[in-house]
Amino acid sequence: MLSTTVIKEIIKVVGKENVLTTKEELLCYAYDSTPRAFLPDLVARPCCTAQIQKIAKLANEHLFPLVPRGAGTGLSGGSLPVDGGVVVDLTRMNNILEIDEENLVAVVEPGVITFQIQEEVEKRGLFYPPDPASLKTSTIGGNVAECAGGPRALKYGVTRDYVLGLEVVTPDGEVITTGGKTVKSVTGYDLLRLYTGSEGTLGIITKIYLRLIPKPEAKKTMMVVYDKLDDAAQSVSRIIRGGIIPVTLEMMDDRTIRCVENHKQMGLPLDAEAILIIEVDGPQILLDCQAHEIAKLCQDCGAREIKIAETEEERESIWAARRSVSAAVVQIKPTKISEDISVPRMAIPRMVRRLKEIASRYNLELVIFGHAGDGNLHPNILCDQTDAEEMQRVEKAIGELFKAAVELGGTLSGEHGIGMMKAPYLKVETGEAGFEVMRRIKEALDPNNILNPGKIFRGDSNG
Amino acid sequence: MDNKTIKEYLNRCSKCGGCQAVCPLYGETHSEPLVARGKLFLMKNYLDGNLELSPKMMELMSLCLLCKACTVQCPNRIPVDELVLSIRREIAHQKGIPFVKKNVFHHLLQNNGRLTLAAKFAYLYQQSGLQWLMRKTNILGLLPGELARKEKLLPRMNRVPFRAQVPMTLSSSKPRLRVGYYTGCLTNYVFAETGHAVLKVLKNHPLEVVIPEQWCCGLPALTSGDEESAVLLARRNIEVFKKAGVDIIITDCASCGSMLRQYGDLIGGRDARIFSQKVVDFSQLMGDVIDFKPGDKEVSSVVTYHDPCHLRRGQGVIEAPRRLIMSVPGITFREMKDPDRCCGAAGSFNLTHCELANRIGHRKTRNIVDSGAQTVITGCPSCIMQIRHQLELQEIPVQVMHLAELLSKTY
Repeated sequence: MLSTTVIKEIIKVVGKENVLTTKEELLCYAYDSTPRAFLPDLVARPCCTAQIQKIAKLANEHLFPLVPRGAGTGLSGGSLPVDGGVVVDLTRMNNILEIDEENLVAVVEPGVITFQIQEEVEKRGLFYPPDPASLKTSTIGGNVAECAGGPRALKYGVTRDYVLGLEVVTPDGEVITTGGKTVKSVTGYDLLRLYTGSEGTLGIITKIYLRLIPKPEAKKTMMVVYDKLDDAAQSVSRIIRGGIIPVTLEMMDDRTIRCVENHKQMGLPLDAEAILIIEVDGPQILLDCQAHEIAKLCQDCGAREIKIAETEEERESIWAARRSVSAAVVQIKPTKISEDISVPRMAIPRMVRRLKEIASRYNLELVIFGHAGDGNLHPNILCDQTDAEEMQRVEKAIGELFKAAVELGGTLSGEHGIGMMKAPYLKVETGEAGFEVMRRIKEALDPNNILNPGKIFRGDSNG
Repeated sequence: MDNKTIKEYLNRCSKCGGCQAVCPLYGETHSEPLVARGKLFLMKNYLDGNLELSPKMMELMSLCLLCKACTVQCPNRIPVDELVLSIRREIAHQKGIPFVKKNVFHHLLQNNGRLTLAAKFAYLYQQSGLQWLMRKTNILGLLPGELARKEKLLPRMNRVPFRAQVPMTLSSSKPRLRVGYYTGCLTNYVFAETGHAVLKVLKNHPLEVVIPEQWCCGLPALTSGDEESAVLLARRNIEVFKKAGVDIIITDCASCGSMLRQYGDLIGGRDARIFSQKVVDFSQLMGDVIDFKPGDKEVSSVVTYHDPCHLRRGQGVIEAPRRLIMSVPGITFREMKDPDRCCGAAGSFNLTHCELANRIGHRKTRNIVDSGAQTVITGCPSCIMQIRHQLELQEIPVQVMHLAELLSKTY
């Protein structure tokens, strides 16, 4: 609980209208896109770096948690105020400060919605590639803090590959800038990489310099159907080794295909083991050639059916299948637990089989889709959060699927972050020593554990 | 909707936040309690006994445009607008309806004589020079800020209600259909020109038109949680149109239309369902049911079209109005950005939440200007009022008119 003195101080900093304290309003900042919720003590909506500095200083003086929050669409519980305290809502800091067309850099505040950045730069013939599924709602600050990915990561990389510079308010209320508009920078430790993906535990990001690239001229999309999952995986490998890097290589498993088809009759084959949606981009004159090259490779690998979109409508209808996955799968059961393990590309078929085996052992509904090109799978467990017994089975199954991913040389999280949801499993991947290095960094930078407590480390050392 | 169904829907919300991208209120405020995800979570907490119907809760539940943008967007198909209505009904039931609204719903809307009298007072206020005097002498400045602004929202009233200006039946030779015309209150009391335009267009087609005595559709009462008044008004309208023996019922108001189509579900029974099945929007009658034949006169203008929420999402009418606009000789049509984003009128929302409605309206006018249009066409008097008001506030010389007015200019 915050004392009235502290509340008054915060009001002095951000103004009365930007402080929320009623239970009704606090409840609306208690959740993100996970099924969990924790009531904060207060929500502050600062408008600038200076206000955040003052809040951080107050937090250190009076020892209350600060939880940075963008749009609240995270999938690992990164913005949940698990220990209460003050949610720092950054959505009022939503200005695109500069689009430098000469140096190909955008300078933005953390509360800008990622899609708006893309819209603005694309008007100028430029491109910001990272495209997490939530891009129309999630903020760039959240994307940087969780190092968000997306389907286009195969060719273009993830958020961290586009962060050139950051302004950060440290836990004790100082401001630092690391990086900037230069492409190269090796001045001291690479703090950019440290803060990118730090999940709000090391600092509050207040300004972001983003690298932009020229916008590709055109794209071409195709859908490939496979009787055997292994053939699909083989195709993925052959395509990439063949020298063509598609923008996206999305995969849906048999259960997902059936779900989508039952939900929205689009004529998908109900007996196929996998569907790949492949998109290439680049100069228009190359695309037809590339698409046919890919088609040939897929054919050689045993593809049953190949559909290349010739018109915008056909392209749309292919993507409609992928886009309706979320809506389709919740028809099975209302609660969707979405994981994002990542394995080396060629381990996908083995991983899929392990996942199915785990699901059947715990008698759970599981659909698997994701980004086959980079090995980042989204096994989604469908359950009912009001069913306590089932939720326990879910919990156990998740523990096992993380273990399986690591055993196959993979990772707990490709793009959602550890947050609170995966914190208990962190050591499965890092080991004791790796964990200890991370914990010491946290302790050094935030000795009072003000920033986003209970994330990444909890489960073990009360982080 | 019973509590079990409501709970099921609430349980379905995965809190993905997709509603943020389309909610006009969230777009302006970035405030989580205003977006569907927040409201659904609050309702869930209320049903679980974790929250009461506090003044704050009531305020938050009133902050919804019912524009259905989130309902359409939701991957889990949660009918957010219906859930908001159900909690408003609960609030009305437990806490009563505010004094002013109650009087309007019970004594004004259910009594056409009194409603006409009220409209006449407003007309006299504007015509007698009293409004001029109030504005000139700055007496309005003495009112609290919001109220002074609201006075400006008062539209120019018709001297005589539209329905009193026209005969109850109009016929052309060899009519194919007997059309019942539901004029809506705004056409009747404010926008007589829309009503005349509708009749002019209908007259140029093989139709017989009947305009029976009728009542408010009940939507204002329903959205405020007063289902009782809404049902009462619905029964009366069903009755009179049944007596009129019409083949089809048209309206020039998207909001009324969406409400009339709900009568079947609202009160059930054969008569109500038949009534609702007969209701089509003016644009559907001209574009889908019969073949619109424009006159010879050219209308040279660059126009854009605003989708009323209650027409596009409420009734699924998207193409017909655009097709009709493009069939007008001389017209250049330019689609604006987000044509289906709510203009902020939302019934009386612009009265109760003036400042917020202005911000939403501002986005709409910006999109209108960017389209390069000289005229905005739409299909709902409520939108016309709001968009016109917003354009005037910013001194933007763009005209706003009902689709029927545009079509009537060709004769």
